[in-house]
This record gives sequence, C-alpha cells and structure tokens, in this order.
Amino acid sequence: MKSKVFIALFFAFIFCFSSASAKTTITWWQFWTDPDIKPVIESMVSDFEKANPDIKVELTDLTWANGHEKIAIAFGSSTGPDIVELGSDWIAEFASNGLLKDVSSEIAPDSSQLQGWGMSTYQGKVYAQPWILGTRVLFGNRDLLNKAGYDPDWVPVKWNELMYAAKKINRLGKNYYGWGSNTAEKHRLYKKFLPFFWSNDAQIFSDDGKYCLIASDKAVYALTFYKQLNDSCGYVDTQRGIEDAFLNGKIGFILSGDWLLKRIEKEHRKINLMATLMPGQKFPGKSFLGGEFLAINAASKNADAAQKFIKYMTSPENQVKFCKANRSANPSSLKAQQDPYFKSNVILQAFIKQIALAKHPPVDPDWVYIEEAIEGAVEDALFGDGLVAQPLFEAKEKIDKIKHTE
Amino acid sequence: MKNARTVALLLALPWVVTFAAFWLFPVVYSLIVGFTDAQLLAHETHWVGWDNFRALFHDPAFVSSLKNTFLFVIVTIPITTVVSLSLAHMVNRQFKGRGLFRAGYFVPSITSMVVIALIFTNLYQRGGYVAMLASMVGFTPPQNGFLFDSHTALYAIMAMDIWMAAGYYMLIFLAGLKSIPDELYEAAELSGAGKIRQFFSITLPMLKPVALFILVINSIKSFQVFVEIFVMTSGKFDTSTAVFFVYDTGLTTKFQFGYASAAAYVLFVIIAVFSAAQFMLLRRRQPLW
Amino acid sequence: MVGGVMRGIGRYTLLSIILAVMIFPLLWMFRVSLSAPGASIGLADVFSTGLSLQTYTDIFRTSHMGRYLFNSAFVGVTVTAGNILFSFMVGYTLARYRTLTNKLVFFTVIGILMIPAHIVIIPLYVLMVKAHLYDTYWALILPWLVNPIGIFLVKQYVETIPTSMEEAARIDGAGELSILFRIVMPMCKPALAVLAIQVFFTNWNSFLFPFILTQSDQIRTLPVALALYQGHQAIDWQHLMAGSTIAVLPVLILFIIMQRQIVSGITAGAVKQ
Repeated sequence: MKSKVFIALFFAFIFCFSSASAKTTITWWQFWTDPDIKPVIESMVSDFEKANPDIKVELTDLTWANGHEKIAIAFGSSTGPDIVELGSDWIAEFASNGLLKDVSSEIAPDSSQLQGWGMSTYQGKVYAQPWILGTRVLFGNRDLLNKAGYDPDWVPVKWNELMYAAKKINRLGKNYYGWGSNTAEKHRLYKKFLPFFWSNDAQIFSDDGKYCLIASDKAVYALTFYKQLNDSCGYVDTQRGIEDAFLNGKIGFILSGDWLLKRIEKEHRKINLMATLMPGQKFPGKSFLGGEFLAINAASKNADAAQKFIKYMTSPENQVKFCKANRSANPSSLKAQQDPYFKSNVILQAFIKQIALAKHPPVDPDWVYIEEAIEGAVEDALFGDGLVAQPLFEAKEKIDKIKHTE
Repeated sequence: MKNARTVALLLALPWVVTFAAFWLFPVVYSLIVGFTDAQLLAHETHWVGWDNFRALFHDPAFVSSLKNTFLFVIVTIPITTVVSLSLAHMVNRQFKGRGLFRAGYFVPSITSMVVIALIFTNLYQRGGYVAMLASMVGFTPPQNGFLFDSHTALYAIMAMDIWMAAGYYMLIFLAGLKSIPDELYEAAELSGAGKIRQFFSITLPMLKPVALFILVINSIKSFQVFVEIFVMTSGKFDTSTAVFFVYDTGLTTKFQFGYASAAAYVLFVIIAVFSAAQFMLLRRRQPLW
Repeated sequence: MVGGVMRGIGRYTLLSIILAVMIFPLLWMFRVSLSAPGASIGLADVFSTGLSLQTYTDIFRTSHMGRYLFNSAFVGVTVTAGNILFSFMVGYTLARYRTLTNKLVFFTVIGILMIPAHIVIIPLYVLMVKAHLYDTYWALILPWLVNPIGIFLVKQYVETIPTSMEEAARIDGAGELSILFRIVMPMCKPALAVLAIQVFFTNWNSFLFPFILTQSDQIRTLPVALALYQGHQAIDWQHLMAGSTIAVLPVLILFIIMQRQIVSGITAGAVKQ
C-alpha cells in the first residue's frame, strides 16, 4: 500500500516538474540561407534562446526560387510554421484567406518605431511585423559618366537629365549602353516601371478606390519616357544579365536594390559606383517599396512565444547587426536607421533617403493579376507593337474587370 | 491449385492499382475540380458550374496560349514528318558509314529536352551562332536575341523541336521502309517506273500506317509542349502554350486549381478530338485483342 | 559511271552537312564544358582556349551535383526495376489469361497511352501534397512503377512464346509464381532488355513531373536542377554545360552499348514485325 502511494506521488512529482520546465518550440521559416548571413541569424537565435530558456526556435531554410510555393503548400495543407518570413507582396494572399494572425492589438509599442506597416495592413488590420525593407535607387557608373564629360559629383535630378546622360554614354561606343532595361520577367518588370510611373505622380487607383487610373495622361507619359530610354539606349536582358553587364562597365545607369552592393563586395568588383535618388519630373522622384515581414500563423499554438521572438528580431540592435552582415540598406527600425553604419556611407544614405520617398503597391489579394496587367502593358509597349496608350487602356480594362472599377 | 481467374487478377493488380490511383482518380478529380473555384490557400471551395470555362475563353492569356499551341502543332508536325521521311529515305540504302549517319541523326532525340533547351538558349542569344548565321545569309537577327522578340521566339523554339525530333521519327520511318517488300520495287522497275514514280506509288502508300502512327504520337506530344517554353522564355514574348498556362495558373503564385484544371480539360478534349480524327483515318484490319 | 560517283559525293556532302547540323549543338556543349570557368566562349575561342576539367570539379564541389546525379540514378534504377517486375507480371497475364477482366485491363492500358500526361499535373500534385508524399522519392517513383508501353512490349513478346514449357511445369506441380519467375521471365530477357532501356531513358530525361512534384535540393533530379540553375550572376555557360554533359553522358554510353534494343523499343508499336 505504501509503495503504491509512493509510486503515484513519484509520477505526480515528475509530471509537475516536467510541465513546469516544459519548453515551447516555435518553428520559423526564413530566407536568409547563404553562408555570410546564416551564421548571424543563428547567433541571434541562440542569444534569444539563452535569454528565454523556456523557448526553443527551430529554423527552416527557404530559397528564393521556391520558398513562396513551399509556404503556400504548407499553409494550404495546414502544416505551416509558427513564424514565417513573407515578402511584402505575399501578405495579402495569406491574410485574405485568414491564415495569418491579426496582430493589430500587439503592435502598439512598435508602431511608431518601425516603418512599413502599410504593407502588412489588410482591411484595417495588421498581419505582420516589418523587418527589413527594400527599395530601388538609381545606380550609375562614374567612370562612364566621366568619359561622357560629366563632373565627378554630378547626379541626374530630372528625367531629361537622365535621358541626355544615358544617350551620351550610349554614344561612347558600340559596346556601351546608357540604360539597363529589364526584359519581360515576371514579378520584376513592374518594379522597374512603377518608379517612373509614380515619379510622374501617376496612380494605379484613385484615392477612393473607385477608378483605375492606369491609363491617365501621366501614366502614358511615364511609359512613353520609359520606352524612349529602352529604345534609344537600352541594354535589354534579365535582371541578372543587366547587373552583370553593369558591373562589367558596359552600362551607364540601372535601377537596382541593395543586393547589388553585396554582389560588388563578394565578387570584388571594381566599379566606380554612383547611387542617387530616383529622378523625377519634378525632383525627387518616387521609388518602389517592398520588404521582408515576419508573420505568425493564425493556427499557431505558440503565438505568445512567437510574438516575443519577432519583437526580438526586429529590435534596432538586431536589425543593425543583420544589415551590416547582409549589406542591407533599409532596416525597418527608425532607430536603426540612425546608426553610424548607415550615416557614414554615401551609398547607403541614398537608400535611406529613398525609402522616405517610396510607394508600395496596394495590399490586395488580386495584386498578382493587376501586376500581370501592368507588366503586359509595359511588355507590349517595349517589345510588341510599340504603342503606349493602347496597351495601358487594355491593362485598365483588365483591371476594371477584376476590381470592378471604372 | 489456384483458380486461374484469381491468378490473372493478382498479376494484373499492380496495373489496376496504379491506374486507379494515378490515372483514373486524377482524371476524374480534374474534371470535377474544373467546375469549382478551388484554390490552394482557400478554406472553402464552391461549385461554379461553367464559369471557369466561360472565363477561359474570355481570358487573353488562355486564348493566346491555345493559339500558340495550335500554331506549334500545325507548323512542326508536317515539317518534322517530311524531314524525318527524307532522312530515312536517304539512309535507307546500303553505303559506307550509314550506321554513323543514322546514329548521328538520332542522338539528339535521346538527350534530355532540358539540355537541348539550355544549349539553344545560348545559340539563339544576341550575337550567338544563329544570329551570326542569319547575318551571313542576309537576314537581320532581332536586336536582343531570337528568344527576346515576339516575332521570332516561338518559331525559334519550333525549329529546335524539329531538329531534335527528326532523328527519332526517322528511325520509325526506316522500320516502315524496311517492311516494304523489295518485290514491289522490282516489279515497278520492270514496268519502267522511275525512282520518283516508285516513291509516290509504292513507298508513300505503304508507309501510310507508319506515317499516321507518327502523326498521332507527335501530335499528342506537341499539343503538350511545355519544357522548352519553361526553360527558354518562361512563356514571355508570346510563347505561352496551353500546358504552360495550366502550370502558371495552377502551380505558381495564384494556385488556382479549379481554373487551371478547367484549362487542362479544354486541352484534353482538343487532343482527344484531334486523335480521334486521326484514328478514323487509320482503320485497323487486324483485331488488337 | 562518273555521274554515279558525282551523285555519290553529292549525297555524302549533303548527309555530312546534315550530320554537322545535328551534332553541332552537342559538340558545342561538350566543348564549352571543357573550357575554364570565366574564359570567353565565342566562335573565335573554340580552338584557342585551352581545355580544362575545372568546371567538372567545380560543380561537384560547389553545387549539389553529386546529389542530383544520385537522385536521377536512384529513381531511374528503381522505376526500371519496378517495371521489370510489375509490367512483366501484367504483360504476362494479359498474354496468357484471356478473361473478360483482362480484356478490360488491356483497353485501359491502350487508353492510357492516348491520355495526355498534362491532365494529371494538378491532380497528382494535390494528391501528393495531401498524402504528404510531395517532395519525396515516392512521388517520383510510385506513379511510374508500371508502364503501359512496358506492359505492351511484354504482352507481345510472351504471345510469341509457346506455352509448352509452362504446361509441363504445371503438370509437374510447380506453383504459378514459380512458373512465372523461374521459367517465363528468363525467356523474356530480350523484351525485358528493351523495356528496361525504354523505361530508364524516359525516366532519366524526364522533367515535367519531377519538376512539379519535388521542390528541395535533396530530392531534385538532374534535369530539374539544370533547368533551375540560377547562379547569382548571369548564366554561367561553362558550368551549366558541364552539368548538361553529365546528364547526357549515361544516355550516350547506353546508346552505344544497347543500340539495337533502343531502336527496337521505339519501333515496336509502329510497325508489325
């Protein structure tokens, strides 16, 4: 009898003890897998685990090639992770299907500290925390500009200045091109055209959302200019091809992001780099805004632990650490942006300034169709029949059908 | 002593199971899903009747992909058939090195289409070998390469397909040519018929079953052209085909299973009708079973 | 006489030109794969640039080429072995047992040959995802273990074998399975060789379904890896062609060794022998 009581007490004790020190394991799927940035992520994770001994974080790596699909399949078969890193253009599709946790009530302490909330707000609710943002700036080859007779610190400020300089560089020789022009590449071409579109004050939708303004005069002018750049001095290739040609000194100007800086460093490229804000009809112009966000699975059972981890990863110190390792230019944390690492680098400053003048596409589950229509119009204008207004009207009709706008 | 029927059934089981799980079920599933708005990420699926099919024919992306698919079939099949028949005819006689030529013509068709597509992506690029050849014969190559221009991209891919497949069908034609009895030619020779006359009066008619076999399998294959498009142009520059549309709509960003399945079924029906029409022309004299 | 020689030379010239056109792309691939990484590969450089095996050592070191090769080989061999077993079983039963069910089975086999593969792209994808077999070897193997062409080949061949040996064995009291595998299978070696080659080739080169049904590096097969090759730079032709050559080499070797079987497999359905 005594032994039975003892055994029962023993098990009860074990049970209480184990549940008291039960570890919560949260799973995180993220995209930063290459050898210079992964160790930084891992060290941040282990620091977090040390500070929070009751939480364990399991990382899963995703590649840019198929990460989106992998995430979609996981959520579609209800096997998604607790925390997932999402690109800004994917948030709408997951949020609209109720797959992400609504964190509107939790962001209050961070809302004024971080930039980019607009991209993770869907129908008035916030579904993800901004982590690292991204924009596009105008890169130029200083050597080619010098050859074309420009001062060593000249930057194009208006569109006609850009066009003139690009044409001058183009005339330097058969193997020189003024402008790197993206070919028809899905999910890429629109990010190169929209900066011109927005810099001319064109809008995709009217403010009240009732009208699609993609074929307005301003839009037609923007596409006409973009097409002229392409036709008169464009080196047409995929993003990779353009970057390569630019880094090899063949192209005068390209529109690109901060990953180019990483490439230059890793590959020891000798290029006299100029980085400046997007030129505008009236300076300055507006660029494209995107970014990486951290979201919690609506079905996650460890939402509190997940939230803790997200706040940790998006803290100013950790953002600076990440940006330094990855050569990223745009932390979402306003405090991080003040770090001397950014302030002392002219090129990074261009990015920081541009972010304040960047627009993002609407957070809409139908965005992928709108994007398709826009890209189709640009492709038609540049590589098809060469008309500009017509393709834009056709794109407007397609969008009208999808969004029931006028 | 096992019942013969049981044994027969057990032996056929692997096929029955495979067929049911991986062919019958999917074909039926595809048909049903085509009438819904199923999506990977959506919780609920609704019946939408013929909406998907209606929308498909108002969708410029689908219509142009169908147009490109038809274009592909109509252009490549006659040319491939003629080219492979010519090749077969030329290597049919006995001469030194015949085996080498035959093997050389055939080898491209047993390599992976992915490899061929990658090689030709380089050959077709701006300043590449094909561009140089084109300039030599006085034709100005497109500024950005053959694959970055909507006037040439699809035709460039077609040319590559013909190049690759000719050797394969050549072999089949060769087998067909061999099965024609020599006596027929000898008799024609004796009655004074020239080589050309012999070709049209004996060779072609005797090759009809083989030619039709080639037409059928080549059509079914060509209607489903996908790999080349995916590797070389990602469907851009007016090269999207029906299967590419199905892939793009159903298995990338949008994950619209219902809509994509409907598109797949439209293609399926087209292929079935086309094949049936071809089979009507080939009437079998011997029982299959 | 002279006319005959002239025509002969003319014919050889024409045939050789065509041969050059057919072979050139593959020769180019081979030549580029032997160029040093970073070396220029224009027409002028074909003879001037030296040969180097560095691309091959590179891709095995830096990419997962070894893994892709293993995956393709593993899947290819498994599917081939499976076919030798299962297609043989089904082909045999269709040849020997003329039951009503078998007639039905036969028509489904023929029917499948007519059904275009694309119709099962989405359903197979959904099936594999729901069954948690997506991105596993099972997805690459299961649907292809029994091949209709294989069944057809075996059936045709077995029909040409007299049943006397099987009858004799049955009278001796041997079990059906024993008869099948100990007596009939060895007699079918020629057909099975053709079947094995046909299945292996199709599988080794296949892209569509391995692409659709897998995703991670671990399971990826060689053609898919080549198609998805994305360096961070513009296309790196030297390495890409090295990978392509590796994909083509086994096929070429097998072709040289088993040419007769390959040809026989291709022409089997087309012409009544």
